[in-house]
Amino acid sequence: MAQSRAAITDYQGRIHNLQKDMIGRYYSRLTAASQNASEKAIYMLISGNPVELIEAFDMIPVYPEVNALQLAVKKQSLPLILAAEEMGYSTDNCAYVKADVGMYFAGRKTPFATIPEPDLILCNYVGCNVYLQWFEHLKEYSKAPIYNLDVPFFRTNSADPSEEDIRYVVKQLEEVIEILERMSGKKLDYKKLEHIVELSGETGALWSEIKKLAQQRPTPFDAYFDSVMMMAPLYCLRGTEDGLWFFQEAYKEMKQRADNQEGPLPEERFRVVMEGPPPWPYLRQFRDMFSRWGAVAVASTYSTVGGIWEFGFRHDPQRPLESIARHMLQWNLTNRNFIQRYRQIKDYLRDWNADALVIHSVKSCRLFSAGQGDMREYFTKQLNVPTLLIESDIEDPRYFSEAQLRNRVDAFFEALEHQRMLAKN
Amino acid sequence: MATALTQSASPLESVFAACRESAQDPEFSVARSWLRAHPGRKAIGCFPVYCPVELIHAAGMLPLGIIGAGNQIEITFADSRFQSFVCSIVKSTLELGLTSRLGFLEGMLFHSICDPARNLASVFQRNFPDLFVEYIHFPQNFTSPLGRQYLAREYRRILEGLEQRSGHAASTQDLNRSIALYNGIRARLREIYRIRTETPHLISAAESFVLTRAGTLMVPEDFLSLLDQVLGELPSRPSKPKDRIRVVLEGSFCELPPVGLIETLEQAGCYILDDDFLRGWRWFTQDVPIQDDPLAALAESYSERAYYSGTKHDSRETKAEHLIRLAREKKADAVIFQAAKFCEPALFDYALYRKALEDAKIPHLLLEFEEKTWSFDRVRSEAETFVESLLFD
Amino acid sequence: MTYAGGVDVGSTQTKAIILSENHKIVGRALINTGANVSMAAERAFKQAASSAGISPESVEYVVGTGYGRYKVSFGNAQITEISCHARGANFLFPKTRTVIDMGGQDAKGIRVGEQGDVKDFVMNDKCAAGTGRFLSNAAETVGLGLDRIGPISLQAKKPVRLSTVCAVFVESDIMSYLAEGKTVPDILGGVHSAIAARTVALVRRVGIEPEVTFTGGVSRNIGMVKALEEKLGLAVNVCDDSHFIGAIGAAIFALERTLGGEASPGPGKTGQVLSSQPSAAD
Repeated sequence: MAQSRAAITDYQGRIHNLQKDMIGRYYSRLTAASQNASEKAIYMLISGNPVELIEAFDMIPVYPEVNALQLAVKKQSLPLILAAEEMGYSTDNCAYVKADVGMYFAGRKTPFATIPEPDLILCNYVGCNVYLQWFEHLKEYSKAPIYNLDVPFFRTNSADPSEEDIRYVVKQLEEVIEILERMSGKKLDYKKLEHIVELSGETGALWSEIKKLAQQRPTPFDAYFDSVMMMAPLYCLRGTEDGLWFFQEAYKEMKQRADNQEGPLPEERFRVVMEGPPPWPYLRQFRDMFSRWGAVAVASTYSTVGGIWEFGFRHDPQRPLESIARHMLQWNLTNRNFIQRYRQIKDYLRDWNADALVIHSVKSCRLFSAGQGDMREYFTKQLNVPTLLIESDIEDPRYFSEAQLRNRVDAFFEALEHQRMLAKN
Repeated sequence: MATALTQSASPLESVFAACRESAQDPEFSVARSWLRAHPGRKAIGCFPVYCPVELIHAAGMLPLGIIGAGNQIEITFADSRFQSFVCSIVKSTLELGLTSRLGFLEGMLFHSICDPARNLASVFQRNFPDLFVEYIHFPQNFTSPLGRQYLAREYRRILEGLEQRSGHAASTQDLNRSIALYNGIRARLREIYRIRTETPHLISAAESFVLTRAGTLMVPEDFLSLLDQVLGELPSRPSKPKDRIRVVLEGSFCELPPVGLIETLEQAGCYILDDDFLRGWRWFTQDVPIQDDPLAALAESYSERAYYSGTKHDSRETKAEHLIRLAREKKADAVIFQAAKFCEPALFDYALYRKALEDAKIPHLLLEFEEKTWSFDRVRSEAETFVESLLFD
Repeated sequence: MTYAGGVDVGSTQTKAIILSENHKIVGRALINTGANVSMAAERAFKQAASSAGISPESVEYVVGTGYGRYKVSFGNAQITEISCHARGANFLFPKTRTVIDMGGQDAKGIRVGEQGDVKDFVMNDKCAAGTGRFLSNAAETVGLGLDRIGPISLQAKKPVRLSTVCAVFVESDIMSYLAEGKTVPDILGGVHSAIAARTVALVRRVGIEPEVTFTGGVSRNIGMVKALEEKLGLAVNVCDDSHFIGAIGAAIFALERTLGGEASPGPGKTGQVLSSQPSAAD
């Protein structure tokens, strides 16, 4: 039985360092902007956003979500969360918001950057209702102008959002362009926008190809733990030449590993689909819990919050605003309902040859988590997929109980192993 | 039960008692007996906060408020679907469905108020495939007319779905008739709230609450008559003013507090002049205009003629402005912010309210509640302490 | 004769079981865990061996389980108590398809296959609602011993409705009821009923299939047995050995490994692979 083998938890390929560099440079830009207002800072959220417009105006996108998760990874989130709770935020409020608000009132200084004040708060309301609250709070604190970019929830079970919904979003994008034109004093350069949209399209295509490599046995990378490393350039640098180049390099590297049949672990024993965001303050310990069983993720839903490209969607330079609208309406996880999310997981289980589903439920994020019991019920009882449900949090280190989590993970893989043994005999 | 509620000679107390019984009935007896008496008629359940009930009514169906199960049923099945950190109303509403108490409904309407409620809509869809489940996405962009235009089209989409289930196409006249009817109900409810502000001893917050709640569980035409009856009798009610502090209460716009909780606050020494209980059923500050395009009228009214709600993120005003204005208008001594446990929108709002109320020097009390409570000792102590601190200032 | 051992290190008590190769329980021990977990494991194991009349070294293979399983320094393997409870319950009651385990600090539901394999499981380890801790707080509040509250709860005529399942707040709830003049049996009836409801709701997540076996320290409480049966609408299996089910399951795993030849040697032996034939000494 697999126990206590040396856990390999870091995928330290070339792209790991490349990504560190690039994100480092992105954060230096933020620090510069905070010091000398060199660039206009536009606050946005990760899921389905129109960063292409921001890039077209040479403004800098600022992502409070990414800042919050970086704080958690660097184990700096708790004092900020506590500060926010002292201000009146509840223990039951999303800890991303609390950490960000705490950081705002601590001079917006983090170990990785000083975050500039917003010149515009662009709330792309894509599924997550907390986004609306978060940004309205930031607006009250910073007094910056806010625009709620209302993206209707993908609420029917038809294949595509309605033409009306698309038109509604496109019209709002035009309003955003007007605002950005006023702020910059320049008209939008459409050719530039088309080029940027093309970059996004190509980046998405590469990301999709990388993900498909995980269909192999063994998968060349862990589609959960390694994906989160690749997500940073995807979110912060989408629509840029640097961002595209990163994914070209990443694809090359992963393809090589795939061709050499190299996986992240010495032995791939269990292939899982991971649902839910990771416990950022405890990424390594969490990864170890699975690695010691030879369990590797072949697909993950969290890596699609910023966009789903593996099922064919591409940003289209021939229809820039419309494809941006489609991306926001349909081609990301957070704007989709549970039924669509179940379908997405089913597709992963089937097409990526997975043995089991692991649901990591997080207290802060009710978009992901509220109702995952129903997800579990569906997959275990209806589809007979072995499913493990575990709980902790994305940002607040107080909700991670290592012993209990490990117990559940161990019991789950013990059972899977036992089932395999019985099936063999 | 319906006839008992509209008996002309009933004294107020028995009306309120009947309303209370209806409000606490997890079997929806009033509505079901009406449906039995009118075979072929259907009912659509409306989950909080705001539902455009006129659409349902114009399509020939009965809108009913499906707002959790209060403290009347045990949660045994829904616990496995929603985690412990989710508010009770989401679980209890699902429990109603999983224990076959919603089989008499033709459908349920949900909409964008928060993430758990939105996920609940999907869980309903998956678990009750015969139920017509729809989700309304309300606009959150109020700075341009685009939002309203979008909403009118969304109402058209919902209406078409409703018409398919009822088999009755709603004409412009049907819609305007329904709007006029519900305008009438809302106007009378506004009158009740005016009476509560000016002469709070005539009708308690608990009574107004069960009355409003009962109204969401019966045929609107009957509710209109009931309201007239109550309004007719209130002015001559033999009730004397008491020495209490005047408060406005906010934060309870979705999950319903137990009646006992409201009574406990009142007995602890508060006149609750205004509240946001069942906010969605009292959404408009004025009548919705009757015009050629009723859906546009409703959509425009949603954004321009609405009371404040934490689930509507209107960036044209800062969060606490309305609350401070309300407290001053009503000459309230204090604000009680009463949020359901785990209620994300309410708890977020509180962070902004707290600072604003402190800056405006308006005393306030934060309470968290759960619908599933039947012992109020702790709340009583907290409220009494708060009242005392104000009275002995 | 081959022997295998299972040691279940719980937060309050440590249990050890010695099995002989013909699957008979030949030795057992139950002690308080105390502060030094690895010493408790060792002590329990030695006691169990001595109660079997054998030396600890003659036990070929030991599996550690329970929250302290990694502190069983002499153990050959660690297996979670979920797997061990399933196995142990299946050993004592072969028709077990659902295990409800209520310990001092946590509660579990396990769906079990015919071979004692775990099909699905759910745990409440986040709060004390539905655990022994809740019951001991309640017992203390009414001033009775933990062993008496079960039988007394069965005398309830009109069980009260608790407003909380929080083990801390239950005390003030009970005091309110006492002040109101409610009887102790009615209060205890309400306490047991509330816990049973909560536990059943938990176990429903894995699906409840007969036969249901009730394990863990709380299974010795007749009031809880009855309350569960009432909420389930099914009879539940209990036995005097229910404390030991985890250790029994662990010992069964241990025995399988040593008989199957996968084993590394137990304490005191050299690296000989042992034959699975019973020795003449039996």
